[in-house]
Amino acid sequence: MEVDRRAFIASIGGAAVVATMEHEAKAEALEHYMEDKLDEMVAEQAGQPEKFPTVAEIEAQIETRPYRRGTGGVFTGQRGQNVKRIEPMPDKPTIQDFFRLRFAPANHVLQSATRAMKTGMSEEIILACLLHDCVLSLIKPDHGWWGAQLFEPYIPEKSAFAIRYHQTLRFYPDAEAGYEYPDQYYRIFGHDYQPPEYIANTYKMLKNHKWYMEPRLVTVNDLYAFDPNAKVSIEPFTDIIGRHFKQPKEGLGYDNSPSAHMWRTLARPDNPL
Amino acid sequence: MMRITMGVLISLLLAGAAAAQAGKSQTVNGLQITVTGVQRMEKASLRDCPPGTNTVNAVERPGDQLSVVTVAFRATPDAKNTPMKRPVATAADGTAYNTSVQFVDVASKPEYSCEFVYRVPRDTVLKTFQIETAKFDLPAIK
Repeated sequence: MEVDRRAFIASIGGAAVVATMEHEAKAEALEHYMEDKLDEMVAEQAGQPEKFPTVAEIEAQIETRPYRRGTGGVFTGQRGQNVKRIEPMPDKPTIQDFFRLRFAPANHVLQSATRAMKTGMSEEIILACLLHDCVLSLIKPDHGWWGAQLFEPYIPEKSAFAIRYHQTLRFYPDAEAGYEYPDQYYRIFGHDYQPPEYIANTYKMLKNHKWYMEPRLVTVNDLYAFDPNAKVSIEPFTDIIGRHFKQPKEGLGYDNSPSAHMWRTLARPDNPL
Repeated sequence: MMRITMGVLISLLLAGAAAAQAGKSQTVNGLQITVTGVQRMEKASLRDCPPGTNTVNAVERPGDQLSVVTVAFRATPDAKNTPMKRPVATAADGTAYNTSVQFVDVASKPEYSCEFVYRVPRDTVLKTFQIETAKFDLPAIK
């Protein structure tokens, strides 16, 4: 079997990690890597369905990584590689500046918002789709709540509601609304994963909420926005941002809003304190 | 007069029934639509219509199955990129099922094929499939 050297090194945490490993550990890692690849090839050849990991198997991977899965994108490099120097933000940064310099490539949220626009959804929903996962640059766990908090001072209440609760509704299919449980969730959470109690309780609350469809529509567009070949840009959303995003004149991070510190952290992720 | 009206009515009903046959094309919003198959899949790709290369899939779960209706589209010069409702499939017992697959820019390509995924209880046989006003009888599942 041919081994892709780069993929193998990346899979165990990068060249820096390899340099610290004993010969025996390297050999063992290579053996595991080849076993995994072989399993993949056999499964593909036999046309067998993908075997999704269990929650326990995912937990067992924690100590195999030099980072935590919940770390925001601006704080980690490509898996296993060193981070790169990032361009400083302008003095009075706008949401478009953050898209260009901190959320980029933002392909997923742009695809999601493009689909919402093309299928005739409201401007509040299109805006929510555009912003719903931007906070993943800062932090990943509970990204719905963090994301809503980040944007709340600047956007319509319905859009913030949609961002906050889309995270919960991602765990619950809704055939009538057009939302399927995605296979990627079996892969990243485990096929036997059960959402924790606070998520289940939030779902119960949402089912009876008059704004249930706002976060639900974000999940519907979320599902269909993982196309690596889609060509999207922020240009089509300039007017919607102009109408619904209250851009502070001091710049995001300097307006003393309740989330200003979060914008500053995104602006300067290399600050030690 | 009465006889003529009845005649027209019967003709319309017969035409509708004929059009509902699987394999026959019907035209809606300038799109010539033909149902080309129905099959059961353990894993089905979730792509819009016309399809892109979205990487997310739906997976069968215990107690249910994924029934996938494959449909061929040909855009006539009258086709426009106007929003269209998601197609609905109905089982023999009359239960209607929704798909998550959405129409997006239907006139952007001259010809394409789409797969509409329906999660239904195990062993459910879908009988009809409807896109806007076009209704099709479905062939038996493979």
